[in-house]
Amino acid sequence: MSTNRGSIEELIYDSCLVLDDNDYDGYMALCAPDFTYKLSAYSPEVKREMAWLDHGRSEIEELFKTLPKHNSDRNPLTRNAIVYKVRIDDDHKQADVVTRLQIFKTALNGGHTELFAVGKYLDTVSLKGEQPVLLNRHVKLDTRDLGWGYHVPF
Amino acid sequence: MSRNQTQWTQRPHLPSSHYVDPAIYFDEEIFKEEREKIFSKVWQLAIHESEIPNPNDYRTYQHPAGRELVIVRGEDMKIRSFYNICPHRGNLIAYEPSGNAKRLVCIFHQWAFDTKGDCIDIPRGKEGYQDRLCEDDVGLKEVRTEVAYGGFVWVNVDDNCGPLSDHIGHALDYMLPELESEPLDVFWYYQARLKTNFKLIHDTNSEFYHDYLHYHNRITGMMKPDSGYFQRKYEAFPNGHASVGSMKVDYESYKGGGHSSLGWPELPPMGWKLVDLFPCITFNLRTSVLRIDSYIPVGPNELILEFRALGLKSDTPEIRAQREKDAATIWSPFGRNLHEDLLASSGQGIAMTADSDPMYVLHGREENQTIHDEIGMRHYLEEWSRRMGRSSSDPYARQGTAKSA
Ligand code: FES
Ligand SMILES: [Fe+2]
Repeated sequence: MSTNRGSIEELIYDSCLVLDDNDYDGYMALCAPDFTYKLSAYSPEVKREMAWLDHGRSEIEELFKTLPKHNSDRNPLTRNAIVYKVRIDDDHKQADVVTRLQIFKTALNGGHTELFAVGKYLDTVSLKGEQPVLLNRHVKLDTRDLGWGYHVPF
Repeated sequence: MSRNQTQWTQRPHLPSSHYVDPAIYFDEEIFKEEREKIFSKVWQLAIHESEIPNPNDYRTYQHPAGRELVIVRGEDMKIRSFYNICPHRGNLIAYEPSGNAKRLVCIFHQWAFDTKGDCIDIPRGKEGYQDRLCEDDVGLKEVRTEVAYGGFVWVNVDDNCGPLSDHIGHALDYMLPELESEPLDVFWYYQARLKTNFKLIHDTNSEFYHDYLHYHNRITGMMKPDSGYFQRKYEAFPNGHASVGSMKVDYESYKGGGHSSLGWPELPPMGWKLVDLFPCITFNLRTSVLRIDSYIPVGPNELILEFRALGLKSDTPEIRAQREKDAATIWSPFGRNLHEDLLASSGQGIAMTADSDPMYVLHGREENQTIHDEIGMRHYLEEWSRRMGRSSSDPYARQGTAKSA
């Protein structure tokens, strides 16, 4: 395939759109068979990197399946991403992508929107197939106080 | 049958220890009194020693009585705590939550203090104060500090308080083998700022009837006759503390990022022990992770929750990663159970306000001190009432009349 930065950026943006819609099948369709997902944040208080989610593809699928059985904050999120850097490695047919992420939460009751979290996506994108797909996603959050929390991964 | 106003505000036909006047969750006056009569008097868990492993390491701590503290490990490895306030013109000394400083130097006029709290330099001191004031007169305010029960650093802002062991008594005995088998190490620290009363959070840690809230706990415990879930017993200790007996959690039953079989020294396999300490600390040892909750109430309906997760200092990177993964399933801001707990406790904060006309809150379940008995909350409020000189079911001593607020 001929890869250009545009198709990689579109993959990142699509991943935001499908998760905003809680379209988990749509999300998994953007991921490679050996996809890994990690979400972490650094605590300056105790100087530790904290991994709050760390899953392979089957675990993340299982997580998505189980979430409807839980009691959750259902106020929807809006993931606003800006792709900062794309480094294509032609030899390995993959790309490293750095994306700045802001997440907003809009109240079902009344529609007030608040900034919920900021961070980055550090992604490895596989370019081996017809379309680029996510191989590894590392969500690195700057925000650590997430109030009562949230069940759906960012 | 729905109720009219008179019925709604009536005291329940239960002993007064079995229901609560909701005003204790939102009254400003009562909150001020809690700061004075409880938080200014009791031992508080501030940090874990692994957060300041080296000489001159420090951590700041916002004490629930309202004091800003800085906790320092000295050259002599002793941990001491001080007010984080410069005796010159009252500036904050340590701005960052952690660091390493041989001398704590105030940025304002560069007064310097050593890790024992002694002032060691006043720039141009002689010129300005001549013989009227010197370094010896302006040391930091030290705060009573003890390191105990698994390496936690406890502080008490009352100079005249008794030793920590008097306050804890035997409440942590049951978890002591696990806490003291090897040195512990913090791997998570995070806060959650919530709009609710700190006692409502502690109540949620003190009753398990709310496992109906948690799909995970229902499927791995409540619905498993062999787990020993319904045999878990509360034990009440003096000073408002309580422990909850262990069980065998059936993690296999939960699909969705499961818990491993990695355990904890001295804890039975798949075990789960919990100890609630008055007024706002929980030791929660769940199979492979020790979670510590402590809260900083900032108002009657606002608090900062502090969460810590700990493993063993001897953990290899692989074992540590597994502990984190285990913790993440149920805890962390994305964990399945913690989010549910915080949703419910915050929902109480939203529903029960001075103007929302809340009813008396029921703490009335009695089941022979087993897991769905509400003795944990009742026992806590007995101590609260003793310290406050107010009954939690009748804080304004209006028994006989309708609900206060
Ligand atoms: S206020 Fe600290 S040196 Fe002046
Ligand atoms: Fe809970």
